[in-house]
Amino acid sequence: MIFTEAKRYYVERRVIERMTATGSSSFETYFGRLRADLQGEVEQFVNAFTINETYFYREEHQLACLTSELLAERLKVKARGEPIRIWSVPCSTGEEPYSIAIWLLENWSHVDEFDIEIVGSDIDTDVIAIARAGAYGKRALMRLPPPVVDKYFAVDGRDNWQILDDLRASVRFTQVNIVERAETKPHGQFDVIFCRNVLIYFDDLSRRTAAENLFENLYPGGFICLGHTESMSRISPLFEVARFADAIVYQRPAR
Amino acid sequence: MPLIRKPPSEASGTTPAAPAAAAVFAALARGSDDERWSAARAAADLPDSVPALTEALRRERSPVVREAVFSALAHIATTQSVEAVLPFLRSDDASVRTEATDALLAMKDVVWPYVSPLLRDPDADVRILACGLVRDMPGEVAVRLCCGLLDSEPEPNVCAAAIDVLAEVGESSAVPALERCAQRFSDTPFLTFSIQLAIDRVRSQTSNSRA
Amino acid sequence: MADDAAKRVLVIDDAGLVRRYYRDALETAGFEVAEALNGLEALEHLLGGRFDLVIVDVNMPQMDGLSFLQTLRAKSLPLSSIPALVVSTESAPQRVAAARAAGANFYIVKPLRAEALVQYASLLCGARNG
Repeated sequence: MIFTEAKRYYVERRVIERMTATGSSSFETYFGRLRADLQGEVEQFVNAFTINETYFYREEHQLACLTSELLAERLKVKARGEPIRIWSVPCSTGEEPYSIAIWLLENWSHVDEFDIEIVGSDIDTDVIAIARAGAYGKRALMRLPPPVVDKYFAVDGRDNWQILDDLRASVRFTQVNIVERAETKPHGQFDVIFCRNVLIYFDDLSRRTAAENLFENLYPGGFICLGHTESMSRISPLFEVARFADAIVYQRPAR
Repeated sequence: MPLIRKPPSEASGTTPAAPAAAAVFAALARGSDDERWSAARAAADLPDSVPALTEALRRERSPVVREAVFSALAHIATTQSVEAVLPFLRSDDASVRTEATDALLAMKDVVWPYVSPLLRDPDADVRILACGLVRDMPGEVAVRLCCGLLDSEPEPNVCAAAIDVLAEVGESSAVPALERCAQRFSDTPFLTFSIQLAIDRVRSQTSNSRA
Repeated sequence: MADDAAKRVLVIDDAGLVRRYYRDALETAGFEVAEALNGLEALEHLLGGRFDLVIVDVNMPQMDGLSFLQTLRAKSLPLSSIPALVVSTESAPQRVAAARAAGANFYIVKPLRAEALVQYASLLCGARNG
C-alpha cells in the first residue's frame, strides 16, 4: 500500500479507529500491541485499511459449504413445511443476499423441495435502498459465470445490470443495528446467518452483545459464518466450532 | 421460485414489550433454559437487577445462561456489578474464572479502582488475572503498576504476567524494574528469557515512538 | 518402523511470551509448533491439521484449557485422543484432579524449564527428539 501526503487524514482516522477499538490510550500502547500482534491486531489493522469490497459470490467457499454441508445438517432437524431461513447481516448493497439466492438456485439440488426465505439487513438505510433497487456495475459481477449473469440480470445501460424482478422481489431487506436486541429479536430465528467482517469493528462489550443477539437469532443447531479472517475465539464463547471441507463455521449448540 | 418473502406485517414479529422486573427476576430464578437466558439479557436494562443477577450466578449451571448473566453485569458496569463479579475470579471451575475475567475486561474503567488491591491479593492466580486487567489501563498507570509489582512479587508466574503486559505497553522507564526482576529470578530461565524479550521490545517501542 | 516426520505440537496459552518460550525450546529440539491463544482457537487449528501433542494453559479468555479438553475428548474423532500436557500455575490437588478429569494426560506446574518441556513433549508424543 502506498500512501501519499494527501492520504494522511485517512491513515490517521484508521489508526484512531483501531486505537479506540483496542482501548489503547496512547499511540505507544497501540504500537506495542501492533508489534506484538496482540489478538491478531496486524490483521485488524490491515482490514481497517482495505476497502471492504463487496461483489457477487464473494467468499464462494462459504456458499459451497452452505449447499454441500450446512443445509443437509439443517434438513435433518427441520419439520415438514418449515421454510429454510437465511440471514445476511450486514447485507450492505445486497450482493451477499442476492448471491446466496442465486447460488442456491444454481447449486442446491433440493432447491425446489423447500421454501427458502432470505433476509438481508444493514444499519445503513442508503445501502438498503441500493440493495432493493438491485442494479449493479460490471465490477460487482466479476466472479459470476456469464451464463449466470444472463439468467438473473438484465442489461440496462453501459455499466448497469439489473437483477430480474422475480429474484429482486424474493429477498426481504430490513434495517437493523445488530447491537440492539430490540431490533434483532423480531427477525426471528434462522438456519444460517452470514455475518461477515463487521464484528471486528466493535468494542468488547458491543461485540459480546452482538454475538448474543445473533445467538438468539439462530435455531439451536443453526450455523453462523464469519469473514474468513475472523474467528469466534476473539468474540464469544457461545458457539461451537464446526469445521467442514470448505470452511470453518460456528454453530449454536443443539438442544 | 422456491424463494419466498414474507410480507413485513407477518415477518416482523412483535417488538418485545419491556418486561416487568418481577417477572424477569422470577424467570431468571425458575425458568427454562431459554427463559433464564432471556431474563438475564432483559435484566441488563432493569434498575436494581444486580442482586438477582448475583443470585443467578451462584446457582446457574448452564454455561450459556451464565454467559448472559455475566454479560448483563458487564453491561450494567457499576461498582456494584464489579463487586458482584469479583468473587468468581476465585471459583474452582476454570470456565467460571474465565467468564468472570472476560466480564471484568468488558467493564473497562469501572474496574480500574479495584486493580491495585487485586494485584496484592493473597491468591497468586487472582494476581495473575489482575495483570490482565492492567493491560487495558492507561499506559503510564499500567507501567507503574507492573514495575511496582516486579520489585516485590514472590511468585514467578505473576511476574511473568506483568512482564507480558510490559512487553506490550512498556517504555524505557520500565527497563530498570525488568532488569532487577531478572536478577531476582536469575535461576528461572523462563523469566530471564521473557524479561530479555520484553526489554528488547520496550527499547524498540521507545525508539520508534521518538522517530 | 521409523516415523521420521517431525512431531507437531500445538501450544495453547494466552501469554505471547509463554508461547514464544515454548516455541523456541520445541523448535530447537526439532518439533513443529503452531500456536493458539485460547481453547476455541485451538479447536479450530486441531480440526484442520495433524497434530501429535497439545500443550495447554488453563486460564485463557473465551475458552479455558479444561473446557477445551472436555470439548475435545467429547468429540468422537481420532484427534480426540491426542496427548495433552496441561501446564498450570496451580499445584493444589483439586486443580490437578480437575485437569485429569477433563482429559489431561499429564500435568505440570509452571514455570517450566526448556529441557523439561522438551522431555515431556518427547515422552508424550513418542518422539525421538530431545
